[in-house]
Amino acid sequence: MTKVIVIGGGWAGCAAAVTAKKAGAEVLLIERTDMLLGLGNVGGIMRNNGRYTAAEEAILLGAGDLIKLTDKASRHVNIEFPGHKHASLYDVCKIEPMVRRYLLNMGIDIMFKTRVVDVELEDKTIKGVILNNNNVIYGDVFIETTGSTGSMGNCLKYGNGCAMCILRCPTFGPRVSISMKAGVEDILGQRGDGSYGAFSGSCKLNKDSLSKEIVKELDEKGVVVLPLPEEEINIDKLKMKVCQQYALKEYAENIILLDTGHAKLMTPFYPLEKLRKIKGLENARYEDPYSGGIGNSVRYLSIAPRENSMKVKGIKNLLCAGEKAGLFVGHTEAIVTGSLAGHNSVRIDKGIKLLELPVSLAIGDIIAYANEKIKEKDGLKMRFTFAGSIYFERMKELNLYSTDRELLRKKIERLNLINIFDEKIV
Amino acid sequence: MYECIDAGSDYCPCYLAETNDCITCSHLQGKSYCDCNWRGVCIYQEYVWNGEKAKETRKSFIAKIQEKKIIGSNLIIFKISVMKTLARQLKQPGSYIFIRSIDKPEYFDTPMSIMYANDHTGEIHIAVQIIGSKTKSLLNISDEIIVRGPYWNGLLGFKNLKTLSNSNALIIARGVALAPAVLVSQYLIKNNNKVSLILDKGKIEEIFIYNYINKFNVLTIEADITSESGKILLEELLSNNRYELCYSGGSDRQHREIKKLLSNLSPSTKFVICNNKKICCGEGICGACSIKVGKKVIKSCKAQVDASYIVEKGENIR
Repeated sequence: MTKVIVIGGGWAGCAAAVTAKKAGAEVLLIERTDMLLGLGNVGGIMRNNGRYTAAEEAILLGAGDLIKLTDKASRHVNIEFPGHKHASLYDVCKIEPMVRRYLLNMGIDIMFKTRVVDVELEDKTIKGVILNNNNVIYGDVFIETTGSTGSMGNCLKYGNGCAMCILRCPTFGPRVSISMKAGVEDILGQRGDGSYGAFSGSCKLNKDSLSKEIVKELDEKGVVVLPLPEEEINIDKLKMKVCQQYALKEYAENIILLDTGHAKLMTPFYPLEKLRKIKGLENARYEDPYSGGIGNSVRYLSIAPRENSMKVKGIKNLLCAGEKAGLFVGHTEAIVTGSLAGHNSVRIDKGIKLLELPVSLAIGDIIAYANEKIKEKDGLKMRFTFAGSIYFERMKELNLYSTDRELLRKKIERLNLINIFDEKIV
Repeated sequence: MYECIDAGSDYCPCYLAETNDCITCSHLQGKSYCDCNWRGVCIYQEYVWNGEKAKETRKSFIAKIQEKKIIGSNLIIFKISVMKTLARQLKQPGSYIFIRSIDKPEYFDTPMSIMYANDHTGEIHIAVQIIGSKTKSLLNISDEIIVRGPYWNGLLGFKNLKTLSNSNALIIARGVALAPAVLVSQYLIKNNNKVSLILDKGKIEEIFIYNYINKFNVLTIEADITSESGKILLEELLSNNRYELCYSGGSDRQHREIKKLLSNLSPSTKFVICNNKKICCGEGICGACSIKVGKKVIKSCKAQVDASYIVEKGENIR
């Protein structure tokens, strides 16, 4: 049986584990913290703009397991907020145990509080991964979904220091780039001004610390928009964000809160004393990152060069997905790239031609487009998400954006890819 | 493969950070991204918080000599009064200090292993073998001595030592290296290990550590391990017992001989050795203790290296 080792239990790693298992592999998922989903524990936005298309495509391709879970855990569906339509917001306090149970029920093995620190390499093939306790775990194919966020040195050099986010590096140890340990140099993303990395795009306020009126509106509508006083508006702040889909004027002129269980504040960080001057936020405190008044995590400092099949260039049996695989933003993007990597892991082991998704699908196109752009100098400053900015524009131009399930079904039927990820290869 | 013994201590970041030579942090090696394996608070963060400079380093100070005991013709045991804090910091196996006579310049500083440290009374004991000009200059001192410390990298394989509990351990120590074996054996006993201690006086005229070991909880055997009968003894012990850990205190040649025996008779035994490199400044600056690990030059006064690797690949030593 093919033994697939997935390193990193965020959305991409979970998705890869699911499709590798479906394809018939024995799957071990290694996670350095005590929770799955990584930054997915503080995210929550699904199905906004082009993500709706991608979610439906994933379901039709047979990789809808995790999308269905986020649908089920949604506190709000089909809501609108500036620049974004038909969004769902999953409850960040409920999703992790749901995903954990789902994976365990599928028979996926998970090792928590276990950190991979190096690889055993032979003839450009990874034989095993070395853990922090020096034990070695051997496998046939490896999938790296360690993301690109942190560690503390990066958050300090390119941000405002460790803001104590959900990844908890001081507790569980730093992120290690597996592809780098295998001898493949990482690509570093940049900001508009050419400096490295970018801030995570939102922070979360404790809902109990907000006024009753705000909590009521969040519970009912899912969204609260609070206009900022004139002197507080800072358009330049948008440039340092990861999430270019939220780098809109409305996000500089207003405080935008979304209800994901916590109150998601759509800005990388906001000084507490300034925040507390706004009506209804007089007693506000941060839930994530704990130092959201100072800074946020810094990401995009560890991207592996890859093929459109998600295979890492230069290593025979390593695949990657999520932020490790490109300048992607978001859970949906992690899930779809992870699903492809998981499926292809079994194909690699069996010597079958690796699957590449056609560019007539939004998922296939974003994977190919992000890969093309990363080779260009200015491409390192771009971010790719179905939810907005340049890629959503491209989706609309190429007629890839649709919320019509039937239309998408027919397209995928025509491509002969219906439920491809459900098929057992071995 | 290697780890800095000072990482996360009061003395981290050190001067190496200022020159982009940090053993641990990739940013402080001049790279633009994180690539470390340090599990504590970020060293780069500490560096920036400290105004982008090294933390205050260890200072030399004048300490009072409580007792000077001459053993035979070539060994002196000094009992020295120090701050309780320093004594506490020196209780870890592998701890050492630099000492010199107060009327000599800094280049007489000589590294000396801690044999015993008492943090209640604030005293440390060291054993000095008289060999060259540095140690000969200590013959005539009696009241005061210059001390600099604490330093910790006097043994290689500390992690193996630290993680061993409820197991069997074999300590083989010879000559002046009997001194650092005291802290090693105390540490292992504290963690509920059964310790067998082979004592070889080597070029010293007597086994000078009996006052420091409790014969009720350590099995002690005196032997000349370089002799044929000594070799047979070690082979018998390794064949008839299961040792999870073996510590070798002695010369590099001794380390190699013992490693050979272990590889043949007990390959899974973890290996720990005393660090014999020519330690001169203790701060990773002077380069006297440099060894080559793979392609990298490592300062062995600060870096923990796998003992088996370094003994087997000894030819890589610069």
